[in-house]
Amino acid sequence: MKTVFVHPEKCIGCRHCEIACAVEHSRSKDIFGLVTESPPPMPRIHVEVGVDLLTFPNRCRHCDPAPCMQVCPTGALYRDKDTWSVLVDYEKCIACAMCAMVCPFDIISFHRVWNVTFDHEVNAKCDHCIERQMRGEIPACVEACKTGALEFGDANDIIRNSRRDFTLRTTMALKGEAAPELPESISQFREVMKKVTKLGPLG
Amino acid sequence: MDIKPKLVKELIEERTIDEAAREVMAKAIEDGIETVWDRLEAQQPQCGFGQLGLCCNRCAMGPCRISPFGETGPTRGVCGADANVIAARNLLDDLLVGAAAHSDHGREVVEVLLKTAEGKAQGYEIIDEEKLKAVAREYEIEVEGRSSREIAKDLALAMLEEFGTIKNKIQFAEVRPPEKTKETWRNAGIVPRSVDREIVEAAHRVHMGVDSDYVNILLHALRTSLSDGWGGSMMATEISDVLFGTPKPVTSYVNLGVLKKDMVNIVLHGHNPVLSEMVVKAADEPELIEYAKKMGAKGINLVGMCCTGNEVLMRQGIPIAGNMLNQELAIATGAVEVMLIDYQCIFPSITKTASCYHTKVVSTSEKAKFPGAIHMEFHPENAYDTAKEIIKLAIENFPNRDPNRVKIPNKPMKMMAGFSVEALKSALGGSFKPLIDAIVEGKIRGAAGIVGCNNPKIKQDYGHVTLAKELIKRDIIVLETGCAAIASGKAGLLLPEAAELAGEGLKSIVTALGVPPVLHMGSCVDCSRILVLAAELAKTLNVAISDLPVAGAAPEWYSQKAISIGAYFVASGVFTVLGLPLKVYGSKDVLNLLTEGVEGVVGGKFAIEPDPIRAAELISAHIEKKRKELGI
Repeated sequence: MKTVFVHPEKCIGCRHCEIACAVEHSRSKDIFGLVTESPPPMPRIHVEVGVDLLTFPNRCRHCDPAPCMQVCPTGALYRDKDTWSVLVDYEKCIACAMCAMVCPFDIISFHRVWNVTFDHEVNAKCDHCIERQMRGEIPACVEACKTGALEFGDANDIIRNSRRDFTLRTTMALKGEAAPELPESISQFREVMKKVTKLGPLG
Repeated sequence: MDIKPKLVKELIEERTIDEAAREVMAKAIEDGIETVWDRLEAQQPQCGFGQLGLCCNRCAMGPCRISPFGETGPTRGVCGADANVIAARNLLDDLLVGAAAHSDHGREVVEVLLKTAEGKAQGYEIIDEEKLKAVAREYEIEVEGRSSREIAKDLALAMLEEFGTIKNKIQFAEVRPPEKTKETWRNAGIVPRSVDREIVEAAHRVHMGVDSDYVNILLHALRTSLSDGWGGSMMATEISDVLFGTPKPVTSYVNLGVLKKDMVNIVLHGHNPVLSEMVVKAADEPELIEYAKKMGAKGINLVGMCCTGNEVLMRQGIPIAGNMLNQELAIATGAVEVMLIDYQCIFPSITKTASCYHTKVVSTSEKAKFPGAIHMEFHPENAYDTAKEIIKLAIENFPNRDPNRVKIPNKPMKMMAGFSVEALKSALGGSFKPLIDAIVEGKIRGAAGIVGCNNPKIKQDYGHVTLAKELIKRDIIVLETGCAAIASGKAGLLLPEAAELAGEGLKSIVTALGVPPVLHMGSCVDCSRILVLAAELAKTLNVAISDLPVAGAAPEWYSQKAISIGAYFVASGVFTVLGLPLKVYGSKDVLNLLTEGVEGVVGGKFAIEPDPIRAAELISAHIEKKRKELGI
């Protein structure tokens, strides 16, 4: 099962993923469409600030079983068997927000979209970039992420790599060798900004 | 975790320590006024590539960004620039903007001197002839038997020539620094050649395919900063002194409580005092005072804001309403008839804020227009008439004030300012020897310059005030300019009584002199006064500035100007602690060079430390190290 895996320690809050997502879900698929199209294309991934100015790119996890699918009264939510994605049939969505109420990640929000007959707000959540996947491309957010915070692949493969990395660092540490998970100056920067949050409204 | 909406009380307490500002901020929130803190919140999260210095948006092959985590993303921009080159170029780009801002301000002051010398400037005269002659002598201009105007003309032309000179030197940078400091510049190849040249060359170097060696880029950043500190900024300071008087100790008041309920309030905001000085002069015109009374006010009340405020405070004792983060709040008092703005640090949204009240924003510089402002352009030829027109506009706006929407805090803080190098020398009895003796004896351990801005990321004034208190407690005398000085004023540190907060040694010295332990030395271009003082002390002891037990700090900096100031402190040999990070953490090499390696080249270096108590410890440790090396 392929998924967009998040390495939160590598998210630096640039919001490239949000822009790429909005472009991918626009009518024109063009960045300039973001300012000219109506309805305005909206991102389906959300980078928000938590503690110490750290960020987390939050998006649909395409759960299985998916609570949103289970509670949808109109059957608007369904699963694509090829990509195992949870998708929304905009024509059936009545914007009742039941799905949003049960979503464990609170990533469902309601927006107008260009590709629906009756112009109303619908559950405009991540569709796993299914059109891109059909073409053999990776989701737009992952393509846009230049820090490696978002990675697309088989979850077990990604976890295995992370585990190897962990083992490498742990064994290096046992030998007394420095094995930082992050580059030194990046850790220093985060320490500095953590202090800044203690001194003002960003805390 | 608490994710409830914050109460007004919580918001105002985390945003500022300025009690007067808190009062008005509560009103601003009730009035529904958007302020800088709301905008900061709306900007979260702020882009990590930008913060780390890894975003390059210079050319159309880009924009590019480098992954801060190595091989998981791109390590070079399209052109091939790596993290070192991009971070260094970004820093130089910021710094050159700061140097340009100071120096363009300086140029404008010198141009007014020229017009004054030619008899073409309305309302201006040469107030400090002694200083004119002293500076002219440094420029090797004949002064004996010549009129002030003749000397002033030669001096103005000599200075203007240094902006784009072919003589390849800046006079102040030749005659003022200690020989040993200049030697480090020569060895590093960073002697500034002219003001504009270094700035233009910096802009050239950041173009793709020019300077691609981060060390070379950073060396030029230091040279550019020197052309500001010992060039453009220093000219701004010295020629403002010539035209408007060299500051002497003066008592005045500070915080939003300096606005007055029954008077026409005019806020003088920005950085360049050339027009505001004329407003100060014109506000004494009996016809204007009469007019104000006719319109129902008791008189005209001028107050300053930011560095224009510092300039007219230092020389004319005009009260000052606050520093950078107070500008919107001044308008939210509902009691400001006109906010006169020149340039720098004026929020582009200030006219939007003003539109919620009766306040008229009057822009005065051809290079700083604000949609929604009334533009009354400054020209030396008719500056006095323009000043009178602006005051008239304010008077005529007084009846539009809604008394039901006015809230003025009622506790302005008393303060002392006006400590130019000359004033300090005179307070010491005509020589710096007593100060040096006190340092040698150890009663004063050393000196620290606290300068720079406000930044909404840090609770307003907390960084400045905490650091100043911690330093004077450790018997380190504090010299301040800019927003930092205003912060200390609001906190009561610019009063002789604040000596009580100082250590025993410093207390005994400042009490004997009748001065505060924290000295207000002026606006941000007046950081050049701190350089001059450091140079005087170093020359007296025949050492380099880097040998002195001194340090610098910018606890709440935000502006590119602060980068230039920080860099010219460092390049002049001063250990300088910044309260917010430089945007270079994406490059370990650039960070290491600025915080370590550069010390071996010029004797000064940066440290990044937001916590003001920890910053005080770093400064104190540095000062003690220098004392030890000097054998005192």
